[in-house]
Amino acid sequence: MYTVRKRYVGRMSCYLCVSVVICGSLGCESQNNARIVEQSVNNYYDGNFPAAIDELKPLAEKTNEDFVVNNLRLASAEMAPYRLDDAEASFLRAIEVINSTGVNNGGRTLGAVLVDEKIKVWKGEPFERAMASYYLGVIYYMRHDYQNARASFENALFKLRDYNPDRPNDSKDVDSDFAPAMLMLAKSYQRIGRDDLAKANFQAVTDHFPALEALANEQLNADSNLLLIVDFGVGPRKVANNDGAVVGFRPLPHEEGRIPPPLVYVDGATTNSLQFARPPVDLLALAQERRWESIDTLRAVKSAVGTGLLIGGAVAGVNGLNSTGSRQRTDLMVSGALIGAGLLLKATSQADIRQWEMLPRTSFIVPLHVPPGTHEVAVVFPGGVKQVWRGLVVPDKGEATYYFRMLRWDNGPFNWPPVGWMNSDLAP
Amino acid sequence: MNSFRFYLRLSACICGLIMICGCSSAVSSGQNTALSGVDLVKMTDDMAMKIAASPEVQRAYKEHGPLKVVVLPVENQMRAEVLPRGPAEMFVGRVRTLLSKHSPDEFVWIMNRDTWYALRGRELEGVEPGPAPGAINPEYSLSAVFSSIADEDTEHRSSYYLCRYELTNLADRTVLWSGSYEVKKIAVKGFGD
Repeated sequence: MYTVRKRYVGRMSCYLCVSVVICGSLGCESQNNARIVEQSVNNYYDGNFPAAIDELKPLAEKTNEDFVVNNLRLASAEMAPYRLDDAEASFLRAIEVINSTGVNNGGRTLGAVLVDEKIKVWKGEPFERAMASYYLGVIYYMRHDYQNARASFENALFKLRDYNPDRPNDSKDVDSDFAPAMLMLAKSYQRIGRDDLAKANFQAVTDHFPALEALANEQLNADSNLLLIVDFGVGPRKVANNDGAVVGFRPLPHEEGRIPPPLVYVDGATTNSLQFARPPVDLLALAQERRWESIDTLRAVKSAVGTGLLIGGAVAGVNGLNSTGSRQRTDLMVSGALIGAGLLLKATSQADIRQWEMLPRTSFIVPLHVPPGTHEVAVVFPGGVKQVWRGLVVPDKGEATYYFRMLRWDNGPFNWPPVGWMNSDLAP
Repeated sequence: MNSFRFYLRLSACICGLIMICGCSSAVSSGQNTALSGVDLVKMTDDMAMKIAASPEVQRAYKEHGPLKVVVLPVENQMRAEVLPRGPAEMFVGRVRTLLSKHSPDEFVWIMNRDTWYALRGRELEGVEPGPAPGAINPEYSLSAVFSSIADEDTEHRSSYYLCRYELTNLADRTVLWSGSYEVKKIAVKGFGD
């Protein structure tokens, strides 16, 4: 009896040691990295892009489970100040892993299921993967590399395909509900000279998103010589419930209100942008379409079983306190084991809430036609959010594209070209 | 005591196993359907060999002497697959390198205009980019077009590539030589994909 009890105590103690070692080793470095990421996100939203880049660069070089998300964060911080070569490289590194399969095979799968979901290599929600390819496409579009832009937008559409369960299994006719990429794909075809495919894609935008009919006008886009890509607002935040086991996105679209259209001024004069500048996507709404995955089921089951064990352990503990002698000892040991196991299951069923924090709520696509030359362009939203650039170059032929990341604390006026421009080979 | 030590050793093994298994790099595991370095070597070896052995190329060399060839970067017509500038130049540049090495007398390689301007733009000390593009006119161009049929769904990503190379006479646009490389890649999605 004594030997059996000793063996039992030995087993329980060792299992507890295993848990503590695993959780401890995972916790230490990730706490430090979390602080750096939080600081870099704050710097980004304050418009202090150099600081954000300096903080994120060392993290993005580590080929660990946060490789993709850190490179996406870094790419956002590099794209805003027009460090396009660096942003392209960061996006390419992230997208290479996103497009790969089997990245979590073997140990990472086991670790994510048994220990901590954050062990798996983060690849993002479908809308995050789509935005990564979308931004890479925007970079290529800005560089007039329209074939690579086209390919990137096609990749973005792959990430957000809408599968209709009522369609036959062998049906290839699936839709993508990612309007920004569809629109930019149409524009890329227009620039490549494939007017037939451009027309078909503009029509597809109109068919799927009637509210964007004015924006998807073929002639409007053909005449455009100044394209503004305007990122507005803050994207969805991944949150877990009180239990930590069920994950979702907040805020809901109606909690934030409607997305206001931008007012665009060129040299102080209003433009006709209000006629067609509609938000092509609302990421707050898109995030609500998150599909329930098998890992979510696993996590919920673990959490429920853990709760059950905790309750069972509490009941055994109460029984133990009310009994005496060897019976009490047994009950208390059982109670300890059940509570320990329950805590372990609860600890290992915490949802992975890593995310790409720099995403906007929406990305406006604003094609304009202005006289060639240099201009001051201001984009203004209600509530004081605006950005002003002086000296933007509009060419005689073709289309110059400029990216505006609207931030409350970073209004400008900024002068073209920006500091980071000197490293890029793009001439507008 | 013995069983206690046994369970201590067992727990250490479990810890170690999970630590080791969880440490694989994010970029070292997994499969990708993009064209890889293996494809680069196979493709360019094959193309270089075929160009060198082509009867039309040999005839042109015998009739006109070394062929003045400008190398153009690959034109990307692939579906959902980007080809950044570096790899786009490499997929044709390696063919040039192989031909320079194995058939040095048959070709004269002319730097393309964009590369010349990029080199001059860097203002590298001690490096003379050579005569302006208009001073030496190439007679032929070595170019490539990569196209693909690709698809992706919740279970897999697949791509079928057709990579076409051409040696074209710039005077009359006739194709002196053409060759192609085909490859199909499928990657099956797993946990977390």
